[in-house]
Amino acid sequence: MEFSLTHKEHKPLQINPIKHSQPMGATLAFLGIKGCMPLMHGAQGCASFTKVFFTRHFNEPIAVHNTSVSDLTAVLDGGDYSILMAIENIQNKEKNLTPSMIGLHTTGLTETKGDDVRSVGTHIEIPYVFVNTPDYEGGMESGWSLTVTAMIEQLTQAVTYIQPNTLVLLPHVSMQPIEVEKIKALCEDFGFETYALPDLSTSLDGYWEAGQGKLSNGGIRVDEIRDLATSSFVISIGASMKKSALALQKKNPLIEHIHFDHLMGLDANDNFVGKLMEIRHIAPNAHLKRWRARLQDAMLDSHFLIGSSHFVITGEPDMLTGMCALIRSVGGTVDAAVSTTFSEVLHTIDAQKVFVGDLEDAREFFDGANMVISNFHSERILHSYPNTALVIRGFPNYEELGNQLKNDQLYEGSAYFLFEIANVLRKVKHEH
Amino acid sequence: MVSRAKIKELMNESACSHSKEKKPGEGCDKPKPGLATGGCAFDGAQISLFPYADAVHLVHGPQTCLGASWETRETKTSYLGRDHTQMGFTTGITTNDVIFGGDKRLSNSIDYVMEHYKPEAIFVYSTCVTALVGDDIDMTCKLGSQKHKIPVVPVHAAGFVGSKNLGSRLAGEAVLEHLIGTKEPEYTTPYDINLIGDYNVTGDMWQYLPLFEKIGLRVLSSMSGDGRVGDIRTAHRAKLNVIVCAKSLITLTRKMEEQYGIPWISVSFYGKRDTSFAIREIVNALGDLELITRAELVIAQAEEELETALTPYRQLFAGKKAVLNTGGNKAWSIASSLQDLGIEVVATSIAKSTQDDIDKAREYLGKDGVLMTKPASEQGKIIDSTGAHILLAGGRSLYTAIKKKISFIDVNQEKKTSYGGYSGLLNLAEDLKYAFRNPVFANVGKPAPWEVN
Ligand code: SF4
Repeated sequence: MEFSLTHKEHKPLQINPIKHSQPMGATLAFLGIKGCMPLMHGAQGCASFTKVFFTRHFNEPIAVHNTSVSDLTAVLDGGDYSILMAIENIQNKEKNLTPSMIGLHTTGLTETKGDDVRSVGTHIEIPYVFVNTPDYEGGMESGWSLTVTAMIEQLTQAVTYIQPNTLVLLPHVSMQPIEVEKIKALCEDFGFETYALPDLSTSLDGYWEAGQGKLSNGGIRVDEIRDLATSSFVISIGASMKKSALALQKKNPLIEHIHFDHLMGLDANDNFVGKLMEIRHIAPNAHLKRWRARLQDAMLDSHFLIGSSHFVITGEPDMLTGMCALIRSVGGTVDAAVSTTFSEVLHTIDAQKVFVGDLEDAREFFDGANMVISNFHSERILHSYPNTALVIRGFPNYEELGNQLKNDQLYEGSAYFLFEIANVLRKVKHEH
Repeated sequence: MVSRAKIKELMNESACSHSKEKKPGEGCDKPKPGLATGGCAFDGAQISLFPYADAVHLVHGPQTCLGASWETRETKTSYLGRDHTQMGFTTGITTNDVIFGGDKRLSNSIDYVMEHYKPEAIFVYSTCVTALVGDDIDMTCKLGSQKHKIPVVPVHAAGFVGSKNLGSRLAGEAVLEHLIGTKEPEYTTPYDINLIGDYNVTGDMWQYLPLFEKIGLRVLSSMSGDGRVGDIRTAHRAKLNVIVCAKSLITLTRKMEEQYGIPWISVSFYGKRDTSFAIREIVNALGDLELITRAELVIAQAEEELETALTPYRQLFAGKKAVLNTGGNKAWSIASSLQDLGIEVVATSIAKSTQDDIDKAREYLGKDGVLMTKPASEQGKIIDSTGAHILLAGGRSLYTAIKKKISFIDVNQEKKTSYGGYSGLLNLAEDLKYAFRNPVFANVGKPAPWEVN
């Protein structure tokens, strides 16, 4: 099969898909809002699958509710009944439940019906954010960014002034909780009061306490989202988040927008840190300088193993872009970069082949590769390729533990990531 | 799409113990907005059919249905060809298909699957969106079947028609309508049975199938653990249908009784007593004296071997008490296993149980056992009052175990080993041994230095 980067599908179906749906991205985004009740407007199955999917990935209770649309209500109801009754029923059942916000998003079913989810908001007394996320369009990454945009558009108040030294971080969907925390901490080290939207670093980071699982456990607060337009800077990470940043700028044109496609590897982080230095007119702390030196060291230490290796990498566009850049920076050859969905940023990837596909497609490149970087589903397939190693990244990672604490970002994470790859590579390469 | 009459009929299934107290038409489970939390009908249908490893399971719908559900169940197979149970196939429809219909994409997908994978059959699952836009999957499947000369079976269990349970019943309908009775077995024996409803998760079936072989029982076909589509087509020639822990498929066996005169029984293989009981039920139903005698010998031998293997555990578990908080048939099946190991089960949850399950739970726990209707709030108190040593529950109850500083097993987690049959009991005993020994639940809950004054 000929693989190239286009919008057009090269076959009528997906076999062993890597793509995940928009509604799932939306749910995950709402889980980064403290006290939020994610409410999936559709039949019960989508929410159930989504819950299991994230529960197994994060090993955390996941709060997802749904409007339980049935074939009957699908025909008779324009959405109002299901949504309002769902909220009422859930509140009647869980007496002490006081959501800070209802995060409603649609599914393929309710989009096909054409439900009007905007106007029903007028009947709901708590803050309500809606987003249209049919699962026959886009993917998890776009579902996440559409939701972030919707929250900004519907919650954040327009203002005409800014607070100095405040910053909003808009991370793309593939960033794990600890990665968000590390980036926030770095910005704070530069003297910025920093908010992340959404903020999984305090909701799905593995912290346990009683009574979880009905509402989002942590994350950014609704009142903080309201005030986001007073920030002096918005930093979007990942091409998918650009639109969300622009939405925030619309609320206050005084906000300066800074964009990075990713934060993996030396170049990207030099740009990032350089920009923060320029704004704040201060040098980084000794810690950060030290981590840059360690990354340089990691690059040199690992360049031989990685530089003589061939890779197949799969994932959401923004994650894929960062991974490929980091691997290329130490000489690794990416034979195939397989994306879940199309995105313009894929054009920037330096790989032999870049295309939108599934694991049936990716598999055509497994024979020639020393390593595959992909999600859990590649593991079983790779059993038939004893000379090809696997490092699991991206959603889902059902079996490995500690996904929420895996950091591949910044100088620090990039260094660890290179070492991890090199060490795993060593096992398959030196047995030849 | 499935007709309303069909759904109503299934909802009113007379052989189902859910239905007794409900008014006609109310049936099992029309979801109330916001309160339906389990899987959808498609999920249930998929669970019931996916273990056919020689068939391709093609999900006709947008991304959520299959994207988030494939390769999530450890349904083992001994099939030597390509194992399709751990693969995902979806048409992954796009906006275009929603507007213009997805029939063309579906038929192209069927062609693609035949060209590249050559399965023995294809199951095509309709889902909410493709059902709502009215794709004619019956026609597409029929044409595909004629063109490729294999069964292409439409499964009408779009998620929005109801719960997992209903979907499983609809999967039974599809099998009955399109597969059962379409092929003759090479030979038959008086001891041919169909196994219905065991999906061989973590190899559950393999715990008891060797015993069947010793006794001389032949499994003609399975729906669907370690099953083959070729075999289920011959299922109409079996002498007995054996339902394993799956009420949802009673409709199927009842209809097979009507159509083919095959009687059915319902059994479970959890724990020693249930396994022995199940074997006796099967051979008694077949009514052959020689078979019954052989079965008794096999049971006696297996029980004896098990007893010997369990002795060290029995000593270890002497005097231990357990609280069980899980749903459905697990509420009594795990209780039964625990008792077989010499552990006293002081309470079990009946929050989501059917009347049958409640009766069984009472039978197993005896008159002093507590049947919890609000386990979340009750279990802590019961642990205190009985001095229970272990809590077996879902992940949400972990906190209770930590607070009470007792051992914990997450019974809802994806299992890696089977607890089925006689030998599965040894796996459970091993897990319990390590759980009792593990100090983590007491350790992890210690106060932080800044919490002590
Ligand atoms: S509820 Fe419908 S759309 Fe959702 S997973 Fe089930 S079949 Fe698919």
